[in-house]
Amino acid sequence: MSLAGLEMVFFLPLALAAYWLGPRRAGWQNAVLALASVIFYLSWNPRLLAVLVAAILASYGAGAWLGALPTEGLPEAEAGVVRRRRRRVLTLALVAQLGLLGVFKYAGFFADSLNALLGAVGIDGALPILRLALPLGISYTTLVQVGYLLEVYWERAPACRDPLAYGVFVGFFPQLLAGPIVRARAMLPQYLVPRRLAADDVAAGAAALLLGFTMKAFVADWLSPRVVDPVFAHPATFATRTLWVGLLGYATQLFSDFAGYSLMALGTGRLFGLALPENFRHPFLSKSLAELWRRWHISLNTWLFDYLFAPLTTGRSWFRGRTGAGFLVVFLVSGLWHGATWTFVLWGLAHGVALAGHHAYDGFYKGLCRKDRAWVARRKSRGYGLASWVVTQLFFVLTLVPFRAPSLAAAVDFGKGLVGLGGSGRLAERFGLQAAAITLFFVAYHLLEVGPGPRWLQRFRDLPAAVRGVAYGLVVAFLMVYTPLGASTFIYAQF
Amino acid sequence: MDRSATRQLLIDWLDDNYHFGEAETLIPSDDASFLDNGVLDSLGFVALIVYLEDRFRITIDRKSLNRENFDSLNKILAYVEAREGAAR
Repeated sequence: MSLAGLEMVFFLPLALAAYWLGPRRAGWQNAVLALASVIFYLSWNPRLLAVLVAAILASYGAGAWLGALPTEGLPEAEAGVVRRRRRRVLTLALVAQLGLLGVFKYAGFFADSLNALLGAVGIDGALPILRLALPLGISYTTLVQVGYLLEVYWERAPACRDPLAYGVFVGFFPQLLAGPIVRARAMLPQYLVPRRLAADDVAAGAAALLLGFTMKAFVADWLSPRVVDPVFAHPATFATRTLWVGLLGYATQLFSDFAGYSLMALGTGRLFGLALPENFRHPFLSKSLAELWRRWHISLNTWLFDYLFAPLTTGRSWFRGRTGAGFLVVFLVSGLWHGATWTFVLWGLAHGVALAGHHAYDGFYKGLCRKDRAWVARRKSRGYGLASWVVTQLFFVLTLVPFRAPSLAAAVDFGKGLVGLGGSGRLAERFGLQAAAITLFFVAYHLLEVGPGPRWLQRFRDLPAAVRGVAYGLVVAFLMVYTPLGASTFIYAQF
Repeated sequence: MDRSATRQLLIDWLDDNYHFGEAETLIPSDDASFLDNGVLDSLGFVALIVYLEDRFRITIDRKSLNRENFDSLNKILAYVEAREGAAR
């Protein structure tokens, strides 16, 4: 079952009916969400549900253990003993969570890489390769649980004392497949109180679901088989212009697929009276890579920032104050998190190096600003803004080559083709109206953030409910004509 | 160090690293949010933490390391005063 699948048309109303028509108690509502999430998970892979449940029970237990070891108000000698005990509990819990992820996601990759290394010095097949089915959403649920454990360990969030609420906090079905990666302080309190049905939530939830589905089914699923898949399957055979069309098509597909999924998750959450965190904020407007990563997959990047970058660069280790080195570590981790392949490592490394380079350039430019304020004005000029936008977007799009390519060799072929060293093939199909409509939709979505865009959006939101209802109805009718009912799986579900 | 001197140090740090003489004009009041007024982004907050620890010889524990605790001049001043007081 998928958020954009046909089954959801039946599953979601049933879950909503049980949720809102039953007793208005947190326990009942959480029980309905837990049951719905278990059914959702079982529809993907029944055997691996036990892995998720075991991980949730382990992190819940570790959180409760940490919660039972407070340091506040203790005399210093006693506090020191408790702190050491807390550190041991946290270490054990993190080893369990990350170990599980490591075994399922990375064991094969590391064994493969080590065997290749040993093969190079004449030792063949030294390590057995473990190929395990990846439990659904394990990359996301692991980060949710690790974030929770760190918050409780740092005493920034209380330990959750309600196992059902905690289980739903980790495994709520709309976020299970591909996030957003939720945080304890923002989400857990919502599960501990009864939720109330509000017209605003229903309207906003339905609108987000509709927009998300449009992005997924109308844009991403149209581009994938016609433009992106053929070009990436045989990059060496295509002409430069076709490769660029394919690459820009992939950037649009990836964004529409993932932002569409995230909007559908947010919308579904709102229908249950829950506010999941925003995951995308018009990333193609960004004028620097740092800004882009604040707008793209926000929940992952803020997670990496808060739990890896900030502790690393403000701690007492060699990394203290070394922002560039912090970027390198964070993006290598981000690359590996996306997938256990060398293409993702290369992608992460490219972004880490670029961010570190930009940080060094920023330091240099600030030196110029200190000497002469004219440099401040230059940086605020339209020309500087436009150049920054072009460089940022071009770099981001180019790094999608290793991100999407099936192997390093295919990525190299694609790169060569982009600069005129490839084939001469073209796509068989000609695209007219839908390609223009997708471009218009994509540009319009981003324009909602600039100039009069936010004002227009607010004006639409202020229209009478009946008018908005008719508008949404027209979109549904349009989608029924132009898109197949039930979309494909989401790209980010594989991570 | 008195409050006004600490405040001036913070303004100087913001000017030297981010706003080059415009920090005061960006901050409408000492209670105004740094994030809402574009005074500091998330990277700036990390740099601010390192600066505060090094300049005022205080340790900011992980429990306090929330953006909300350092999101205005008054919040930072109150935190620094409390930590300096605790160290004495």
